[in-house]
Amino acid sequence: MDMVKSEKLKYEYTFETAIDEEEREPLVALKGVDITIEKGMFVAILGRNGSGKSTFAKHLNALLTPTEGTLFVNGYDCTQEELIYKIRKSAGMVFQNPDNQLVSTIVEEDIAFGPENLCIESSEIRKRVDRALKTVNMTEYARYAPNKLSGGQKQRIAIAGILAMEPECIVLDEPTAMLDPEGRKEVIDTVMELNKEKGITIILITHYMEEAIKADKIFVMDGGTVIMEGTPKEVFSQVEKLKGIGLDVPQVTEVAYRLRKRGIDIPQDILSIEEMVCTICQLKSKI
Amino acid sequence: MLRDITLGQYYPSDSRVHHLDPRLKIILTLAYIVSLFFVKDYWGYVYCAVILGLVIHISRVPAKFVFKGIKALIVILIFTAVLNIFSYPDGTALAHVGLFTITIEGIQIAIKMCIRLILLVSGASILTLTTSPIQLTDAIERILNPFKKAGLPSHEIAMMMSIALRFIPTLMDETDKIIKAQQARGADFETGNLLQRAKSLIPILIPLFISAFRRADELAMAMEARCYGISTERTRMNELALGQEDFRAIGAAVLYGAIFVAVRLFL
Amino acid sequence: MYDMSIKVENLTHTYNSGTAFEKKAIDDLSFEIKDGDFVGLIGHTGSGKSTLIQHFNALLAPTSGKIYFNGEDINADKTKLKHFRTKIGLVFQYPEYQLFETTVFADVAFGPKNMGLSEEEIESRVKEALTIVGIDESVYESSPFELSGGQKRRAAIAGVLAMKPEVIILDEPTAGLDPKGRDEILNEIAKMHKILGITVILVSHSMEDVAKYVNRIIVMHNGKIKYSGTPEEIFGKAEELVEIGLDVPQITHVFKELKAQGIDVPDNIFTVDEAEKVLYDLLKQVEKC
Repeated sequence: MDMVKSEKLKYEYTFETAIDEEEREPLVALKGVDITIEKGMFVAILGRNGSGKSTFAKHLNALLTPTEGTLFVNGYDCTQEELIYKIRKSAGMVFQNPDNQLVSTIVEEDIAFGPENLCIESSEIRKRVDRALKTVNMTEYARYAPNKLSGGQKQRIAIAGILAMEPECIVLDEPTAMLDPEGRKEVIDTVMELNKEKGITIILITHYMEEAIKADKIFVMDGGTVIMEGTPKEVFSQVEKLKGIGLDVPQVTEVAYRLRKRGIDIPQDILSIEEMVCTICQLKSKI
Repeated sequence: MLRDITLGQYYPSDSRVHHLDPRLKIILTLAYIVSLFFVKDYWGYVYCAVILGLVIHISRVPAKFVFKGIKALIVILIFTAVLNIFSYPDGTALAHVGLFTITIEGIQIAIKMCIRLILLVSGASILTLTTSPIQLTDAIERILNPFKKAGLPSHEIAMMMSIALRFIPTLMDETDKIIKAQQARGADFETGNLLQRAKSLIPILIPLFISAFRRADELAMAMEARCYGISTERTRMNELALGQEDFRAIGAAVLYGAIFVAVRLFL
Repeated sequence: MYDMSIKVENLTHTYNSGTAFEKKAIDDLSFEIKDGDFVGLIGHTGSGKSTLIQHFNALLAPTSGKIYFNGEDINADKTKLKHFRTKIGLVFQYPEYQLFETTVFADVAFGPKNMGLSEEEIESRVKEALTIVGIDESVYESSPFELSGGQKRRAAIAGVLAMKPEVIILDEPTAGLDPKGRDEILNEIAKMHKILGITVILVSHSMEDVAKYVNRIIVMHNGKIKYSGTPEEIFGKAEELVEIGLDVPQITHVFKELKAQGIDVPDNIFTVDEAEKVLYDLLKQVEKC
């Protein structure tokens, strides 16, 4: 079964749901999105601000309901009101601002918040909280106040709070946008580990290409639709197209692309430092 | 700096008082405060003070922290004292100050009132010094729980209190930042008359409110995403249960009360 | 003395001095920033860079040491603080959160108004500042809260620019923006530097962002200045930078590695343009044979 399957998913912000005043007229945020994500994958959804990627993410957690089209999360139909909590239990969500998603003044109490809502027994909550803390490597901070932690640590606590609800999938909506490079690395490493070791499906919404490169599959969104999908190599080799919609490509990919344009026979799907060095050495040895 | 203000006055320690059930601590503190109002003579106050001293000792909270609470109270103490001194004109007159007469009885009542206030505040301080704000919130929720059926939203009250506790440091940091940012644009908060100063707060308050609303919005969404509101019942990770130490405390409290009543009745 | 703009002498700042929470945020710094410089101030969170820039704006007073602006000690006379704050403009991180007025125009005018300028002068400065950051005249009378994220930030930067500072310090001006928004902001800052001739101090933890624009980099670590020099000099120290937890541009690593493999390339390449040039020259012979 697929973790996520959306077909012709449309969403319009209306007067009531608009956050900013500029959006007060019906605004089509999603114009027919088809995305299928298999269970156990690490998927990145890449796009610039306003591309509709965050709107899509909020659908995965039933925080928004499709205006048109279909969306199934873990087999549950997202247009059915009574399935909301089943959907939220299957797909947890981590948000951008680390400060605005922690509820409690004590780290472990915060992680317990989700399981408590699910009416899980006390002793089981205790176990889950300890396990989640261990998974995100924050056990020693169990009794800390969240405001004493760094941004990256706070995001890891937010991830632990979702983990304690034991979801099959975690959706992260630009979890690193407000973090420094160190915090960014902490969060991405944690997420990768969850995917590789616990088999949790990861859907990472981001505009940082460095993070998307590590994914099994990338969807690129722009103007409310999916404009590209494929493996990182397939996506990033289209340098022109990505730059055209205001996204970055890795520096090595861009250099390779430019050299290729100037007539040098160099593959266009180079993504990493090692690949680049290796390719240049090979070319050089031909001289 | 703003961020250095610690909320409440919790003094973390591992003492036996800290480990008591917070519900019990609230109830015992209330009982102690009530008992203070039944004290008639100085010996009664000595008795209460000794017991309080004992509790402070067991709690391992340095006495200076307890007395800090009293320092903040000094204005009220003086006010109470003065008010009491002048409100008993029908006694052994000591002196006349304008229209007022100071009497020995007046002075005695003033002293007793002050002692009572000091003991009361110290007792309450011990509660807040040994119980973290979150434990207090938790305990209040559970004490109020029986009244839920009567329509009292005990859980919502507690949730609001704990979210406030969680966000006060964040918003204080934010205030600090906004003040500095507006100062960097030449804003002046220190000079001018009252009206000008009030007006100069607008560039701080508006961004602060906007940010608070944005945070509230995002927090609500994050809470929803974590299945808040799935049902009216929630379980808790830390269920409160009375332990051995709590029963010992109850025993001690009963003993305290018994001696109190015995002395009042028979001596 | 007038050829330099900021001079820092033995600057130290200790938070919570004398308490258990005492923390030395910056420790005995001495350096100069010359008039017309475009400086990148790099360091990770907690390196002391935020503390340092707040000193430039006299928002924090030094525990010890002095800061001179054009030869004058900025903390010597309390009544002149406001004057120095307009000369050395400071744009905080996420500056859009400080917007508060009813219109974009009024918000940008807040700084000049506090300086007690005439109506005409205020108007001309506001217009100039908004033009430089690329905000269209059609939105002058809109609420700043109706602007898009990137526009809000640019309006906030204009609010500092309108005070006509001689030096402008920007703390992480690209934080949270997408690549396009980031490039737009950085290009506008480069424009300010070029057109207005303002000295710019760009605070960042991203080496890649600053590499393209600045002519000097100061690297801070644990409250001290670890390195200071031109981008070429700094990026020659890739290993040392990685060691203190800083990123260097991906392409710099490639050249380091190539050199290690015995290929004759410079090891301080940090932009795509330079890399293209060097590698093209290196590889064009392959095509010929």
